[in-house]
Amino acid sequence: MKYIFKRIGLLLITMILVSFLTFLAFEIVSGDPVRNMLGTDASPAQIEALRQELGLDKPFLSRYVSWLLGFFSGDLGRSFSYKQPVWELISSKLVITLALSLISFALIILVSIPLGVFSYQWVGGPLDGVRTAFNQLCMAVPPFFTGILLSWTFGVILKVFTPGDFPGFAKDPGGSFVHLFFAAICLSIPRIAMTVRMMRSTIVDEMNKAYVRTAISRGNNRWSVLTRHVLKNSLVLVVTFLGQTLAELVAASIVVEQVLGIPGLGRFLVASISHRDYPVVQAIVVILAFWVVLAGTISDIVNRRIDPRLRLGGEDE
Amino acid sequence: MKKRMNGYLLAGLIITCTILVVALIGTFWTPYSPTAMQYGKFQAPTLAHLFGTDHFGRDIFSRVLKGTGTTLFIALLTVGIGAVVGTFIGAVTGYFGGVVDDVLMRFNDALTAFPSILLALLIISLLGPGKKYNVILALGIVFIPSFARVTRTAFASLRDTNYVTSARLMGAGNARILLVHLLPNVLRVLLPAFTIGFNNAVLAEASMSFLGIGVTPPDASLGYMLSEAQGMLKAGPWYAIFTGLTIVLLVFGVGLLGEGMQAAEKGVE
Repeated sequence: MKYIFKRIGLLLITMILVSFLTFLAFEIVSGDPVRNMLGTDASPAQIEALRQELGLDKPFLSRYVSWLLGFFSGDLGRSFSYKQPVWELISSKLVITLALSLISFALIILVSIPLGVFSYQWVGGPLDGVRTAFNQLCMAVPPFFTGILLSWTFGVILKVFTPGDFPGFAKDPGGSFVHLFFAAICLSIPRIAMTVRMMRSTIVDEMNKAYVRTAISRGNNRWSVLTRHVLKNSLVLVVTFLGQTLAELVAASIVVEQVLGIPGLGRFLVASISHRDYPVVQAIVVILAFWVVLAGTISDIVNRRIDPRLRLGGEDE
Repeated sequence: MKKRMNGYLLAGLIITCTILVVALIGTFWTPYSPTAMQYGKFQAPTLAHLFGTDHFGRDIFSRVLKGTGTTLFIALLTVGIGAVVGTFIGAVTGYFGGVVDDVLMRFNDALTAFPSILLALLIISLLGPGKKYNVILALGIVFIPSFARVTRTAFASLRDTNYVTSARLMGAGNARILLVHLLPNVLRVLLPAFTIGFNNAVLAEASMSFLGIGVTPPDASLGYMLSEAQGMLKAGPWYAIFTGLTIVLLVFGVGLLGEGMQAAEKGVE
């Protein structure tokens, strides 16, 4: 319990650091958003008025602190280009991206863990090389290429869904799910391949340890040793890897959302970057960073439940 | 006894070398001009136009040849930046340790916590989108932490070996120990890391260009071409298919190369 509080404290500190760095980075390089919004032929009075309206006339630190306080009370600032509160703009998109990531994550776990265990059966066999090559091939397929292929076969030819026309959860939950499911397939193929590869090598390492030899020499068969002891011991690395996967899925979905025309957070981020809509970019980056840190924290906590050695070892992880 | 050659390494070498040669040819010579718009729109693949033509009537085979070169150029420079700077940081932190090590590694941890695409997007949005060298710089910075981590571990583990101690007793300076004695041994872990980094660079560049914030015309990388191809999926799916398959083949070949190196290192087939 104490550990969990410590982790949450660490999480908050990391968040504040990340948000500060993001804020600072945009402060240094961003140029003048007011000038960008008004164009070159705006009068100095107009510029000054808009600057005051957006709060850009205040010093950097006071803007950061008020932004940070706003962030924790649910006020993410106002978009430059839409003149609306950022939270109103992104909340529905956040739900879509979150759903997409969770569907992909479920797909990755459901497929890769059985496959990883199963692929151990092939180690040293005649098909092991073929499996390794196939694994590399799956890792080589970029999600946006799978997205294009899927939208061509299932969208253009078979007409199962319409790429670029996302129905939305309120209007058509079933259709939305199908749409997201295709996107999830694109996202998860390379990730499944990576997870299987790392599971296989972890299991191989673990199976060569002395306790496994002892267990087998005492008459246990390999399969029961594998499922009863080895799997649990190799799970720690796998959970850490899956935690990173969960974090990276959100970022990877940026591209897939673009291909399949899903109005998620990533697509909005790309659009906001090209419009130089900094309040939106800042809010999305900090939310995504929060997601990343959260995923790491969850996988650490899960690992401590799985592996008692981590609980006995030092508190500083 | 270690096996020097294995199936993965051989297959990877063949695929990668073929693509390298093809890209090299494509930089200097293509069967048609990759930008001329005069060969008839939306022609399916024929012997005259191996990969067909696109919505402007350009020869796709020539464009893929040229685009592979651009993609390779960006990916190699990117990984180069990451590997050189990363190895330098790894050497300093791993060999000397101390406060510098602590500070740099915490910073490294913070950077690796960011998903690479997100970090690259951030840096690009700060540097200004749509310029080739900004893409290279942004992706290069993104790849530094992973190289720093890998090489730091290697340098740290070699620091206290007997041959380093003997070299020091014989009066060798730190620079000589690092460059002459340690670097060749670190290369063994650096090379597989380089292949993984290269593949990530190809995929990351393709993603950025696909999103329209990477390479822009007149340069055309494979990722940019895929985003063009997506618009003509109904009329000419061959553009997307051939361009995408080229990326897959490139990444696949280098992936096999990395797999082969690791297998050779372990001494198993």
